[in-house]
Amino acid sequence: MQQQLAQLVAAATQEASAVATRAELEAFKARVVGPNGSLTQVMKGMATLSKEERPVVGKLINEAKRSVEELLAALLVKVENSEIAAALGASVDPTLPSPDAPAGSLHPLSRTRERILASFRKLGFVVADGPEVETEWHCFDALNTPADHPARDMQDTLYMPKAFRSADAPRKADEAILLRTHTSSVQVRTMLSRKPPFRIVAPGRCFRRDAVDATHSANFHQVEGLWIDRDVTLADLRGVLDFFVKETFGADAEIRLRPSVFPFTEPSFEMDLRSPNLGRLSDRWLEIMGCGLVDPKVLELCGLDPKEWSGLAFGLGLERIAMLVHGIDDIRHFYNNDTRFLRQFA
Amino acid sequence: MKVSFQALSRHLDLAGVTAERVAEVLPMLGLEVESVTTFGLAPLPLVVVGEIKSFEKHPKADRLSVCQVDAGEGSLRQIVCGAKNFKAGDRVPVALPGTMMPGGFEIKVSKLRDVDSAGMMCSSEELGLGKGEDGLLILTPRQPAVGTPLNSLFGAPDTVLEISVTPNRGDCLGLRGVARDLAAALGLALKPLTVKTAAGRAAAPSAADAVQFVRSSSEFCPYYTLRTLKNVKVGPSPEWLRRDLEAAGLRPINNVVDITNWVLLELGQPLHAFDAKKVSEGIEARPAREGEEIVLLDGKKVKLEPGVCVIADARRPLVVAGVMGGVDSGVTDSTTDVLLEAAWFRPGEIRRVARRIGVSTDSSHRFARDVDPAGVELASRLATDLLIELAGAQVVGPAVVVGQPPRADVTIELPAGYVAAKLGTPVADADVNAAFARLGFTVKPSAAGFSVLVPSFRSDVTRPIDLVEEFIRIHGTDKVPAGRPIAPLPGDEDALTSVFTREVSARLVGAGFTECCHYSLRDAAELERTLGADKAALVAMDNPLTAEQTHLRASLVPGLAGALALNLSVHADPRGLFEVGTVFRPQADGTVREFLSVAFAIVADPVTRSWKSREAFDALRAKRLLQDAAALAGVASVRLSFAAATGGLWQADHASALVDRGRAAEGACGVLDLRWTRSLGLKSSVIAGEVCFPRSAFAEARKTPRFEAFSSFPPVTKDVAVIVPVGVAAAEVESRVRQGASKAAGKEFALESVHCFDVFAGPGLPEGHRSLAFEIRWRHAARTLTDEETNQALGVVIATLEKGAGWTVRR
Repeated sequence: MQQQLAQLVAAATQEASAVATRAELEAFKARVVGPNGSLTQVMKGMATLSKEERPVVGKLINEAKRSVEELLAALLVKVENSEIAAALGASVDPTLPSPDAPAGSLHPLSRTRERILASFRKLGFVVADGPEVETEWHCFDALNTPADHPARDMQDTLYMPKAFRSADAPRKADEAILLRTHTSSVQVRTMLSRKPPFRIVAPGRCFRRDAVDATHSANFHQVEGLWIDRDVTLADLRGVLDFFVKETFGADAEIRLRPSVFPFTEPSFEMDLRSPNLGRLSDRWLEIMGCGLVDPKVLELCGLDPKEWSGLAFGLGLERIAMLVHGIDDIRHFYNNDTRFLRQFA
Repeated sequence: MKVSFQALSRHLDLAGVTAERVAEVLPMLGLEVESVTTFGLAPLPLVVVGEIKSFEKHPKADRLSVCQVDAGEGSLRQIVCGAKNFKAGDRVPVALPGTMMPGGFEIKVSKLRDVDSAGMMCSSEELGLGKGEDGLLILTPRQPAVGTPLNSLFGAPDTVLEISVTPNRGDCLGLRGVARDLAAALGLALKPLTVKTAAGRAAAPSAADAVQFVRSSSEFCPYYTLRTLKNVKVGPSPEWLRRDLEAAGLRPINNVVDITNWVLLELGQPLHAFDAKKVSEGIEARPAREGEEIVLLDGKKVKLEPGVCVIADARRPLVVAGVMGGVDSGVTDSTTDVLLEAAWFRPGEIRRVARRIGVSTDSSHRFARDVDPAGVELASRLATDLLIELAGAQVVGPAVVVGQPPRADVTIELPAGYVAAKLGTPVADADVNAAFARLGFTVKPSAAGFSVLVPSFRSDVTRPIDLVEEFIRIHGTDKVPAGRPIAPLPGDEDALTSVFTREVSARLVGAGFTECCHYSLRDAAELERTLGADKAALVAMDNPLTAEQTHLRASLVPGLAGALALNLSVHADPRGLFEVGTVFRPQADGTVREFLSVAFAIVADPVTRSWKSREAFDALRAKRLLQDAAALAGVASVRLSFAAATGGLWQADHASALVDRGRAAEGACGVLDLRWTRSLGLKSSVIAGEVCFPRSAFAEARKTPRFEAFSSFPPVTKDVAVIVPVGVAAAEVESRVRQGASKAAGKEFALESVHCFDVFAGPGLPEGHRSLAFEIRWRHAARTLTDEETNQALGVVIATLEKGAGWTVRR
């Protein structure tokens, strides 16, 4: 009996080495421990044994059964392993590059714009917009620009033909339709459509009749700011611009307000910036934007009583800021769309 | 305008004030300093007078001479020189070794083509004295001693500040105005201006005058003065006058012309001098007549526009008023009697005329910026002083004056505390008034606060707010502190166009696209391709600058296609490109509407090879991106329908046009016209998409989504396949399935979804047909649906479908 069991286990062990798949495992299991399995047959033989023999043989059978179970468990692990390996396929070299394209990137002008908007948003300025093709009234008249101001000249400003009708900027009378020369026209539209107090920033595309070179572009972008409230002062203007400059150029950037002239602000200033972190432009005053208190005449033209309301306004060139922040030396890079340029700012 | 520091010093005491300090102060007064240059000979201690004793040709260079030069050192110096304009015995400036030249290079002992050279003989330009005659600066006529330091032959150098004057500050187009601002800022006194010629006016010429009449009949000349000066000796101006003109960048001509120019520089008032003998009878400022012409001083023949103000004699126009004189009435060497004009012309008209005839002169520039009417007479008297002193002129009585000064001093009522309120920081009224006094304004107390009398030289100051600017200029903007902290205003939100731009850009960047930025102005060919020739004409500009930029863009796609081609041509893998921006599209009603557009483009075949291939980007992925973009703009996919795109930018049969049922969005996606993209140099086909929205699509605030309850019971799914003729659009079939499935559900339960999961054409199907299979999903809110219910519902769907002509449901 003992010999028979030993032979059985040895045979099973030998047979097990050939088992590779789950089906073979199931078949093998049936041959050994199934209802007609070899071990089951031996166990059935127990019944014919005497009372004295049974404990001895039982012990032998249990040992054999344990050996077979261990064998089956090991086979199951082996089969599962080979199944997983088959499901996964060949192993991957983790150092190979991903074949998928990486994320894209925002244009440096968009990045700069969003950064600027984010800093003004902290001061409660929200984004406003308006049409790019404007009436001369919104672009010039309402901004207190004299009728013979050079900015209106056909030499400097792009006009649409007389027959042109804009769905977004209908004429008030028979004034010309033009491509806006600044985003200040959004100031006008905001004052006409909203009740103060409000603070807005208007990013957008502007146009001048300029030949393209390293510093000029037929279109460019501005961010315009306007704050209308009671008792807005020069100190407020300084506070807002100081905050913006420190946000954009770092805490060690300084500003100065240099008196200048614009038709729509009084007093008017050019804001200069000085920063130690601008490469070869470090530590010197750089003209960044025009600003001032909204001229009372503009408030009146836009339907606000200058005795009750006052305001501040500023406008900066997005290209100029992006060029300073990133050390870009030619404005044409922004419009060439060479990805070797575009992807440097991801 | 060029401001000489020495000339400025005549108007205020600048002892102890450096030119550098002035260059720092002026910008903070609103007078931008564009450059600071040295005028005259800079201190050059090692440049001395030398005498060329002898010279011979350089043995190895035809153009060079080897000179033996006595620089007063006891022995001769050998200097190699490239100039030709000297002879032995000439005295010239010699820069000894160690000299740092104004151009920034150091003179060293060296060899030129193997010959020793111990110094440099200098030209006028090399010494920073401006462009003189070619070659060396020959000093021989001045007879200087050999070895004399060159500086002792020339006056002290001057500093010239080139300032740009803003259009409102006509007063600063004269030195006196700049000096006044500077004096106010530095707390210095402006020196009084002394004029000997007496004030006084005559209403008409006397017998002694050189003219019989002086008149003005032009609305553009409300104030005209003319003075006769006799026995004028025309000749060169004295050194000091020539120097002042040259420092300001003007060329000396003769004493009479130079004096008028000098007064213009000094006071900002242009003057004009006529040769009295060339003037027939009298002088009249009058409108030009039809057909009149004039040959200007610069030789240009100008046809005069009728109505333009000219200064004419009895026969012909002599001067385009305020702009430029004619060739035949000016002062020449033979002139003896001079008529001196000082006048005031309307600024806008001068600006218009100067631009129209295409000349800008020192005179027109100043008249266009509104000269001080009160300065007209003063300038005439100052010039008369100088004509007497420097040209021996004899004055005939007072000036003949026609008309009146067109404007006078202005009084502004300034409420007490107004300036401090605008600054947002406390300032004493006394300080404010002191600043005004320094600017030449007169301040008196009044009922509301103060009355400020602003002289006529400051026509830009008319309102209390203008006085705030005047104060802050003098007070200093740096003394205004940064203002109060600001709290945001509740409920204020960014414009939805801005929110959308941000979100859709993030979506596309996440999908691997790189953002581009193209010019809005495009050429005619592009617009004709995009819109067709008729509509393209509607977006053409009136005055384009170049032939490449004549139209407003109607689509972002051509720019992107161009960028793909550009990047491939420079061997950069463009991958996907996108742009967000405004496009302009003609509408059915004849208007042109602005749309906020989002577009992307990508070449279909991968550019960069990879060790593992990926499914290529195709028109259907473009469709998904477009739907996602529309959803971000608040246009749900169910509102959008797609139909085959025809013509223009898109390839027939491989692109679709997008239509929004709400008429908000429009767009297209698919393959770009292959002939076109190939003509751009793109070998692979290009997949692109564009969706654009009118501004009105962003007018309404977004709704906050409300929660809707959903069923907790399982759905039932049924499939149906239908064979339809090839020309029938999938959307039409799907719509029919949806219609039947929805009708079948009735009010009892709900149709949850219908989607196409299989499209098949080929063996087993009738010729010219295809099979579309849809999965339909129904669900009941409160219980599980029974087999009977759903089979019945499917029956309704099948019946609905088979009503379609030639449609068969597969069983």
